[in-house]
Amino acid sequence: MKMILTAILIITVATTQSQTAITGKVSNEKNEPLQSANIRIKESGTGVRTDSAGNFKIMATGKGTTSLIVSCIGYETKNISLQIGDSAVQLLIVLKDEAKVLGDVVIMGAGTFTASDKAKGASLTPMDAVTVAGTGGDIANSMRALPGVQQVGESEGLFVRGGTSDEAKQFIDGVNFPNPNYAAVPGIMQPARINPFLFKGILFNTGGYSALYGDALSSALILETIDLPDKSEASLHIFPTSQGLGIQQLAKNKQSSFGATANYGNAGNFYNKVVKQSAGYFHGPEYGSGDFNFRVKAGKTGILKFYANYGYNNTGLSNPDIDSGNLISSFQNKGNNLYSNLSYKESFRNNWKIDAAISYNYNQQNIERGLRNGNNEKVFVNQFPFNEKNSSYAGKRNFLNGKLVFSKRFIKSQALRFGAEYINQSVFDNISNPNAGKYNSYTENEIVLYAETDIRLNKKLAARVGLRSEHSSLLQKINIAPRVSITYKLSNENQLNVAYGIFYQKPSSEYLLQNEHLGFSRAAHYIINFQRKVSNRFLRAEIFYKSYKGLVTTDSVIGSNGDGYAKGFEFFFRDKRSIKDLDYWVSYSYLDTKRKFLNYPYKLYPPYATPHTLSLVAKRFFPDLNFMANAAYWFTTGRPYYNIQTESDGHSVIQYSGTTRNYQSLNVSFAYLFNISKKSKDFSGIGFGMNNVLGTKQIFGYNFSHDGNNKTPVTLPATRFYYIGFFMSLGTDRRDDFINQNL
Amino acid sequence: MKTLIASVLLAAILQTTIAQTNSGGFETAVAKLNNAKTAKDYEATAEDFLKITETESNNWLAWYYAAFCNAQTGWLYQRDGEKIEPFANTAEEQINKALSLIDTSSQKKELSEVYCIMAMVNQDKVFINPQTYGPKFGPAAFRYMYLAQSANPQNPRALYLVGWQKFATPKAWGGDKAKAKELLLQANHLLVQEVTTGTSPHWGKTEVEALLKQIR
Repeated sequence: MKMILTAILIITVATTQSQTAITGKVSNEKNEPLQSANIRIKESGTGVRTDSAGNFKIMATGKGTTSLIVSCIGYETKNISLQIGDSAVQLLIVLKDEAKVLGDVVIMGAGTFTASDKAKGASLTPMDAVTVAGTGGDIANSMRALPGVQQVGESEGLFVRGGTSDEAKQFIDGVNFPNPNYAAVPGIMQPARINPFLFKGILFNTGGYSALYGDALSSALILETIDLPDKSEASLHIFPTSQGLGIQQLAKNKQSSFGATANYGNAGNFYNKVVKQSAGYFHGPEYGSGDFNFRVKAGKTGILKFYANYGYNNTGLSNPDIDSGNLISSFQNKGNNLYSNLSYKESFRNNWKIDAAISYNYNQQNIERGLRNGNNEKVFVNQFPFNEKNSSYAGKRNFLNGKLVFSKRFIKSQALRFGAEYINQSVFDNISNPNAGKYNSYTENEIVLYAETDIRLNKKLAARVGLRSEHSSLLQKINIAPRVSITYKLSNENQLNVAYGIFYQKPSSEYLLQNEHLGFSRAAHYIINFQRKVSNRFLRAEIFYKSYKGLVTTDSVIGSNGDGYAKGFEFFFRDKRSIKDLDYWVSYSYLDTKRKFLNYPYKLYPPYATPHTLSLVAKRFFPDLNFMANAAYWFTTGRPYYNIQTESDGHSVIQYSGTTRNYQSLNVSFAYLFNISKKSKDFSGIGFGMNNVLGTKQIFGYNFSHDGNNKTPVTLPATRFYYIGFFMSLGTDRRDDFINQNL
Repeated sequence: MKTLIASVLLAAILQTTIAQTNSGGFETAVAKLNNAKTAKDYEATAEDFLKITETESNNWLAWYYAAFCNAQTGWLYQRDGEKIEPFANTAEEQINKALSLIDTSSQKKELSEVYCIMAMVNQDKVFINPQTYGPKFGPAAFRYMYLAQSANPQNPRALYLVGWQKFATPKAWGGDKAKAKELLLQANHLLVQEVTTGTSPHWGKTEVEALLKQIR
């Protein structure tokens, strides 16, 4: 009897006191804490929200089975059933991304190639992109293996769907990166300034890009830098044209890191003596660069990143003068460039997020042109065209870009983004020749507002609608640019995307210095895209139409009177499945474009474009040999060339025109990997490769003498380019990086 | 008092009979699993085990087998990239469920089996895209292989997985074909001795033999 009484007592006490604390933490699959997640007890209806660290505490009344319902916007709701006893319960709850769970439509802009460090299957990763053989560690250059891009062998940059390289812009962490390559040298492609392995995400837009970006008529290459590195490391590389050192230090608490690298290369010292060059280098090409970065985690979800890069270049060429048989004309370009980028991103309560970034670029260039005789003495001839061949140019450019984006996430992957941008640009040019000195400058202040929303119409249909408006103080004009992207999910594997947008761009400084009253150039893009991703294969087909208005024209007077169109279709297929350890892709682009532009007397097929471009990229790893082999092949039809001369009344006429022969190029690169010692945990390797293995004589176009009687081909500085070198890193395995950066 | 005891007994008997009926289905499923070869076979068997978990939600073995079938499906789809992901995710959920149902301090053998599946799940994720998923999930897979081995050094499936890892990893990253062969032969030796009937985990022979053939 006593026992029964005790039992009853225990039960009563237990009932009255049965408030059990359930504490826990809610995070997403990336282990990031989820703020404002809702936790509700089904039986009693009590609910709480998580704090900024994702923590919560809720009291459960009663024992036995209790159901917790955990929900958070953008994530799949989770039901957890618990056995509540006397002791407190602690839970770690991981919520899954809703889009992934539902298999819902995710907006994929037509015209966009995404290379992400989260890529699955045959989707591109940043590494895939930059490991294309022969692209020299230049991200833009490696994009030439993707559809929509012209293979313009004499110039750096992206020539996308009938646009010039000026019409494609690069952005780092949201803000402008105005000078991605070393200063231009006529007829010779210049290398990129920044290590491509700085980026964890690459969005390459060949059209139809987001309203968050602007001032690019044809293409936006949007780069996202990595957050904290995985480990501390030191690295070294020695190649004939470049040598460098780097360190990257991750703090013990893994909350911050800093790093610095230094690189130097002067092909003139050694390489060009071994491999004869036809470019006529008398100095360099010489490049030096140093960069510094730090990254600090701020609060629970925030990160502050800083990156600065300084670059120096000095290249001198001297070649027989095109207008005379016995004179030499020389060109030398010396430049300094400093780029810095500070960015901050942070997530707040209620699914708000802020992205802020500011970039500053200082660029200075000095170009000397001279005419010399056989005894290397300066010659002054007071007669056109010779009177313009002795000149010096000094240019300075300051560029500041600040940007703020607020975004809010809603259920089912819907979102709203809006913000503002400010650009300040000051341009200063000083051109002098024996006849005249010319000084010119301008300052531009630009304010931009934009808003964009992702709307999910149903499980299969989603749209991104955006609007961008730019005000230029220099042009004294406002533009309004609508952008729309629609995605229709046909099945789990297949997706159809459509994009439309208006894109504006200011004329380049070269023309604004001569006429500040030009207008915006304008392009309208229409794109239809089909994608299929299944079983490590990726198929993409796209058709597009673009129309141009307000292109810069220099025929008689400098104006904004050019127009034109571009249309075509593109095809891309990547297969990682069919042959083990072999990854290859094929891309083909067809382009039909004509534009009235610069000094073209009428609408022309531009000389930097060609109708057919085919490329093939293959990569194979031989695990048993620790050996990697990459190859890239291009075939393009010939490019048109024109000899355009100015008549006495200022109008231009075409004196001569033609089409170059078809172009083909095969690049290969190999790497053998090894460890020097097991103790030091080094990862080392030897990389070697060759560009233009077939030794084809590539002609990109022709330069014409003033009288039109003499034409010289624009070709490669040397038929083939070779490299062999050693690289080593202590810490993490970064051999892939070196191989690709140096070839 | 007597009635109470009687009802408790009755309940216990009832429970047992129910369990027995189910284990009949269980054995059929395990037998089906023994004959599974293709990804499609494993996919179908996973469904069978999932059904069993509906009635035996506290049976770790049912969750274990469901997880194994899904992890194995992913494994067989290793050249199919993104196709693997749903299988890896389902297997992960199921194996976590199995883990929560065993006493990790006393059931070392069971724990070792569970870790094997966790290793497979992580390796499945590596297969989705070795370049992007490898740096994160590769070490996790390796860690679970190691944990499985230390929980029960005599588990042939743990030995098989470590052997596979040594076989599949390039030399520069620590791969070793000779070591792989040694581990696989050891696994094979243990598998031969293992009871291949009943419902306790006993898979692995086909996999080990296939791998040994590749090494020769």
